Amino acid sequence: MMEGLVKVSIDINGKKYTDDVEPRLLLVDFIRDIARLKGTHIGCDTTSCGACTILIDGMSVKSCTMFAVEADGRKIQTVESLATDDKLHPLQEAFWEHHALQCGYCTPGMLMSSTFLLSRNSDPTEEEIREGIAGNICRCTGYINIIKAVKDAAGKINAGKETE
Amino acid sequence: MYPTEFEYYRPKTLDEALELMKTVEEPKVIAGGQSLMPMLKLRFYEPACLIDLGAIPELKQVKLDEGGNLRIGAMVTHFEVIENGLIRENAPILASTAENIGDIQIRNRGTIGGSICEADPSADYPPTMFVLEASIVLLSKEGRRTVRIEDFIKGPYETDAREDEIAVEIIVPKSTDQYHVEKYARRKADFAVVSVAAIARTASDGSIEELRIAAGALTDGPERLKSLESALKGKKKDSVDLQTSISETVDALTPISDIHGGEEYRKYSLKMMLARVIKELIE
Repeated sequence: MMEGLVKVSIDINGKKYTDDVEPRLLLVDFIRDIARLKGTHIGCDTTSCGACTILIDGMSVKSCTMFAVEADGRKIQTVESLATDDKLHPLQEAFWEHHALQCGYCTPGMLMSSTFLLSRNSDPTEEEIREGIAGNICRCTGYINIIKAVKDAAGKINAGKETE
Repeated sequence: MYPTEFEYYRPKTLDEALELMKTVEEPKVIAGGQSLMPMLKLRFYEPACLIDLGAIPELKQVKLDEGGNLRIGAMVTHFEVIENGLIRENAPILASTAENIGDIQIRNRGTIGGSICEADPSADYPPTMFVLEASIVLLSKEGRRTVRIEDFIKGPYETDAREDEIAVEIIVPKSTDQYHVEKYARRKADFAVVSVAAIARTASDGSIEELRIAAGALTDGPERLKSLESALKGKKKDSVDLQTSISETVDALTPISDIHGGEEYRKYSLKMMLARVIKELIE
């Protein structure tokens, strides 16, 4: 091992990625460059925009504001975990239907923040959705359609649970 | 943006962490990193060694001691402060304060100990800690000491902690009095432009039995507004001249003056906020 490198092993979307990394390597760069999963975006790189939001052990965090070494041994979900085979996640489908994205740069982060929100609150009010995505900035949509999409997805997920 | 290079340590016990603080070159403790990482990226800090407290289980505990005080581990996240049953029951003002911090991602990762040790003059916890009269437990190889929050925060980004010490626990006396905590910021996730924390208890005859008020977003760090407290304490709520007392106190303060709000604007806003908070508490 090169001097100063640290061995890190992170489970991302159910697959283990191991590498020797510089301690200062940002988690988002581990995800994008070592795991080669490009869905997680780097927006501001200053903890402000939320484009790099992922779930770590089920909790949403900004992956530009964690070092990869801090995530050693933990489980991460990125936007790539949402769709299964050819089927979009209900949140992704609702974003599509409600035109909740224009340029799409913030979308991976919006989806992961919404995933965290719905994991804690299956039927959020508009205010709760606004609070849930307060850490994510979108410069295109004005948020209205994102809020509609999250609300719609919550309804569809709940309806799906009832028919099961 | 990248920090300068550093060596990384992830101790599994407090003993190991304290040993590292004493032996490694230029150590800097990282808790949740939500303030520290942006600072490292901007290279405000260039530590040779980073000591990560994330693998020490005892720093993540919340307990109630025999004296009825909450003992909150320094690595307890803001999310846990909001959700924790013991905290909600014994110091609900603290849970309400944590709800105001940053955004969800920051609350999921940021910690109570990290935030207090960062001592940002606009941070959310300090005014609340001042009215709760909380204390910080500091540990080093030399021993343990407990410091009152007002002595711990010495100024903006400056605390009483020595270089070899780690803040391990926050002691919060039980407080179930009426409380109000308010923060004003242009956007939800921003730091406070004006912030107030207060607790109060009124007697059955309508007099103000207990009142503690603190303000944040001030140039020299948070402050207990003792002159305002003593102007109101013991008085009947109908007989106090709230506006005059508030004006006298606020005019003597020096709020931060920057792009988020000038001094005059912040003083005006602080007066409005104090009047609203106090009225709500004593009525």
